[in-house]
Amino acid sequence: MSTDAHGNSKFLQHHYDTPAQQFGAAKLGMWLFLAQELLFFSGLFVAYGVYRSWYPDAWVVGSHLLDYRMGTANTCVLLLSSFTAVMAVRSAQTGNQKATGNFLLATIFLAGCFMVVKYFEYHHKFEVGYLPGQHFAPHGEGLVEIVAAARETGVNGVPFHLRTFFGLYFVMTGIHGLHVLVGMFVMGWMWNRNRKGEFSKRYSTPVEMTALYWHLVDIIWIFLFPLLYLID
Amino acid sequence: MTVEAEAAIHADPHHIPADADYLTYERGWKSWLTTVDHKRIGVMYLISILLAFFAGGVFALILRTELLTPGRTIMEADTYNEMFTLHGAIMVFLFIIPSIPAAIGNFVLPIMLGAKDVAFPKLNLASLYIYWVGAIFTLVAITQGHIDTGWTFYTPYSTRADNSAIWMTIGVFILGFSSILTGLNFIATVHTMRGPGMHWRRLPLFIWGTYATAVIQVLATPVLAITLALLAMEKIVGVGVFDPALGGDPVLFQHFFWFYSHPAVYIMILPGMAIVNEVIATFSRRKIFGYMFIAMSSVALALLGFLVWGHHMFVSGQSEYATMVFSALTFLVAIPSGVKIFNWLATLYQGSISLESPMLYSLAFIALFTIGGLTGLFLGTLSTDIHLHDTYFVVAHFHYVMVGGTVFGFLSGLHYWWPKITGRLYDERWARVAFSLVFIGFNVTFLSQFVLGSRGMPRRYYSYLDQFQPLHMTSSGGAYVLGVGFLVMAVMFAKSLKSGEKAGRNPWGSAGYEWQTSPRPHPHNFAEQPVFTRGPYDYHLASERELFTGTDAEWDTHVAKKAEA
Amino acid sequence: MTTESTASHSHSSPDDGEVVSHIASTRRHVIVLLGLLMFTALTVGAYNINLGDWNLAAAVIISTCKSALVVWFFMELKDDVAFNRVIFLGAVIFMGLFMAYTMNDTRYRNIVDAYNGGRIDPRTGELANGTAAGIVAQGGELGPLPTLPAGEADGEPAQE
Repeated sequence: MSTDAHGNSKFLQHHYDTPAQQFGAAKLGMWLFLAQELLFFSGLFVAYGVYRSWYPDAWVVGSHLLDYRMGTANTCVLLLSSFTAVMAVRSAQTGNQKATGNFLLATIFLAGCFMVVKYFEYHHKFEVGYLPGQHFAPHGEGLVEIVAAARETGVNGVPFHLRTFFGLYFVMTGIHGLHVLVGMFVMGWMWNRNRKGEFSKRYSTPVEMTALYWHLVDIIWIFLFPLLYLID
Repeated sequence: MTVEAEAAIHADPHHIPADADYLTYERGWKSWLTTVDHKRIGVMYLISILLAFFAGGVFALILRTELLTPGRTIMEADTYNEMFTLHGAIMVFLFIIPSIPAAIGNFVLPIMLGAKDVAFPKLNLASLYIYWVGAIFTLVAITQGHIDTGWTFYTPYSTRADNSAIWMTIGVFILGFSSILTGLNFIATVHTMRGPGMHWRRLPLFIWGTYATAVIQVLATPVLAITLALLAMEKIVGVGVFDPALGGDPVLFQHFFWFYSHPAVYIMILPGMAIVNEVIATFSRRKIFGYMFIAMSSVALALLGFLVWGHHMFVSGQSEYATMVFSALTFLVAIPSGVKIFNWLATLYQGSISLESPMLYSLAFIALFTIGGLTGLFLGTLSTDIHLHDTYFVVAHFHYVMVGGTVFGFLSGLHYWWPKITGRLYDERWARVAFSLVFIGFNVTFLSQFVLGSRGMPRRYYSYLDQFQPLHMTSSGGAYVLGVGFLVMAVMFAKSLKSGEKAGRNPWGSAGYEWQTSPRPHPHNFAEQPVFTRGPYDYHLASERELFTGTDAEWDTHVAKKAEA
Repeated sequence: MTTESTASHSHSSPDDGEVVSHIASTRRHVIVLLGLLMFTALTVGAYNINLGDWNLAAAVIISTCKSALVVWFFMELKDDVAFNRVIFLGAVIFMGLFMAYTMNDTRYRNIVDAYNGGRIDPRTGELANGTAAGIVAQGGELGPLPTLPAGEADGEPAQE
C-alpha cells in the first residue's frame, strides 16, 4: 500500500504513508509556526501595554501624530489581500491554475501597496524628526503638529515619552512590515511554482500554508491599527 | 542482485536493502551534510554539542583556577568577567538546551515511534545548520572580546557598556530558531508519524518528556527572540524600550528574559527526566510505576514553568503583589517533580535491579536532582531569598539541577543508547571509574558552594575574603576531579569507537521499542514497518527474542542449542 | 497499511489516504470580507465618537471580532482538526498570561511602601534609604509646549 501511494504521486515524501498524513503534518507544523509567531509579537504587545498604562498622555498625543486615514487605507488593503489570498487557495484547490496565479499576483500587489503607504508614513516621520528613542527630535512642521495634537487632546505640554511611543511604533510596524516583505517573497515563489504547474486538485498544500501565514500577518495588523492609530 | 530485489527497487525508488545501516549506507562528508536522516542529524548534533560542552568546561576550569586565591591568580578581573559570561552562555545556549532533545531525541524519537523519520526532515537539517550559524556568531563574539554581561544580558549594562554583546545576542537569537524548529518538528512527529498500534498510552515516557519540552520550545523561545531583537535595536538604534533615561524600564527586560529563560530551565531538565524514565525501567526489568502520572507530570511541569518566572526577580524592585504570586506558584512546581521521584522509587521497589553505568547515572540523577530541587525551595521563599539571592547558594542550586540533573541525565542517555548509535559496546569498568570521578568531583565542587553562599559569598565575584579560601579551594579541587572524570570518559568512548566489541540489538535486555531494530538502525529505522502490540515497559509481554541481549549470531546458536535440547 | 495515527489525526482522511479539502464557496469569502470592512468602519467610527475609558476596550473587542472572522473562516479553523484549534488558543492564552503577569508588576510597583508608610529610619524619623516614596510615574512627565514663532515654525528639539 505504501508502495502504491508513492508509486503514483510525485509530491508524497518518502517517510509518509499517505498524502493525508503529509497534509495533516504540514498543517500542524504551520499552526505551530503561527503560534510561535504570535508569541514573538506578544513581547511587543506587552511592552506596548506597560508603557501605554504608564504614559497615557504620550500615547494619546503620539497617536494623533499618526495619520489615521493612511492607517485605515492600509487596513482595507490588507483585508482585501487576505481575501485574494483565500481565493488563491480556493482556486488551487479547485485546480484552476490561471486563477491561482492571478490571485497570488493580486495579493502581492496589495501587499506592495501596503508597503508604499507605509513608506510615505515613515518618510514623513523621518522628515519631521519623529524618530525612536534617543533620536527623537521633532522640528519644524513636527513641532507644529505636536502642539496641535496636544491642544486637540487636552494635554497641557509635550509628553517626554513621545520618544517611547515612537520607539514602539517603529519597532512594531517595522517588524510587521518585515513580515509583509517575507510574505510577498514567499507568494512570488508560490506564483512561480504554480506557473510551472506544480499544484493540482490533489496537492495545493504550499499555497494553503502561505495563505495561513499571510492571514496571520493580517491579524497582527488588525490589532496594531487601532492600538497605534486610534487612541482617543 | 536477485530478480526480486531488482523488482522491489523498480517498484519503490526509495527501497533500501534490509541489512543496510544508517552509518555506512552512504559515505563521504557530502552525504552527511545533505542528509535528511534524523539519526545522522542527531549524531552531528551530538558531536557539535560535545564540542560546546568541552569549550564550556575548559572555561569552567579556568574560572575555578582563578578562584583558588583571593585577588589575582592567573588573570585580570575583566578577563574573569568575560570567562564566566562565556562559560554560562556556551553551556546554556550551545550545550544544555540542544543537548538531549536535538542530539539524543533526534536519534531516538522517530525510532521509538516506529516512524521512518521526523515529520519535516529538511527542517530538521535546517535547524542543525541554523545551530551552526548561531555557534559561529558566538565564536565571533569570543574573538571580539569584552562580553562581560553574564549569560543574562541584563540591561542597562548590556546596552550601555562598551562590549560586543551584540554578536552574542545575535548568535543566541539564531540559536533560538534552531530550538523552535526542533520543537515544532517533534510535536508534529509525535502527532502524525506514530506507527501502527502506537497509541498515546503506549508512547515511551522519553517521548512524553521531549513532547512537553517541545511545547515549551515553541511557546517560550520566540519571546527570547523578540527580547534579543529589542536589545539589539536598543544598542544599534537607541529605541529606549529598556533604557530608564529614555523612559524605558530595565526590569521589563528581566520579565521578557525570564518569560523565556525560566521555562528554558524545563527545556533543560524535562528531557533529563525523560531519559531517567527509560533507564530506570530497563535496569529494574519492571513496568514503570504510574505511567500516566509521569507522563502528565511532564506536561504539568511544562505548563507550570510558564507561571513562575518572577522568582528570579524578587530583589529587582518588581511589585510586591507580583512577588507574592510568583513565590506561591513556585512551590507548586514541587508537586509534579515529587510525583516523578516517587514513581521512580516505586519502580525500583522490588525490581530486578542491575547497576550498569546508565543506571548509575540515573540513580545519581534522582539524588542530585532532589538536592537541587529542594534547595530551590529556599530560593522561592521570599525572606530567605533576600539573604541568598546572587550568592554561591544560587550557583550551587542551579548546578545541582543543570549538571546533577540534566548532564547526568544526558550522560545516562549517552551510555544507554551508545550501543544503538555506534553499534559497539564500551568498557563497563572504565565507565564506572569515570562515573565515580564525575560523581565525587561534582559533589565536592558544588556542596562546598552551598556553604559558601549561605555564608554570604556573592556569585560572579573575582576576589573574596580570606575566610572563604578553604571552601573555594575545595570547590576548585572538586572541579579538577570532575574534569579528570570527563577525560576518562572521553578516552573510554574513543576506545569503544575504535575497538569496542560489536553490540547486539538489545544489549541491556530492554523492552523498549528502539532496541528491536538492528544494532545500528536501518536508514529507515526498521527494515520492515513494525506493528506495536504491547507497551514499551511490558516485560511480561515481551518475547524471549525481544529481550535477548546477545548479537543475532548468538541468538541463532541459542535457538539451535534449544532445539537440540 | 493505514496507521491509526493517520486515521485519527489527519484532515478527514478517507480510506485511500487522499487529502479532502473543504472548499468554501466564493460567496462565503465575499461575505466575510464585507464583514471585516464593516468592522473596520465601525472601529474608525468609534474613534471619531469619544467613548472615554471604553475606547481601548472597544478597539480591542472589535479587533478580536475581526481576527476571529479571519481565523475561523479564512484560515478555516472551522473545519480543521481540534488540535490545531488548541494550538492557536494556547498561543493566545500564553500571550494573555505574559501580559497579565507583567502588568501585575508594572501597575503596582512600590505600592506597599506607599500604603504602610514605608520603612522609617528611627534615627532621623524620615523615610529610610531605598524606600520608594510612591507609585511610579502616572501619566509620565510633560515638557512645556514649545512656543512657535509666528509664520515659520523652526524650533529647537522639544525635549525638556
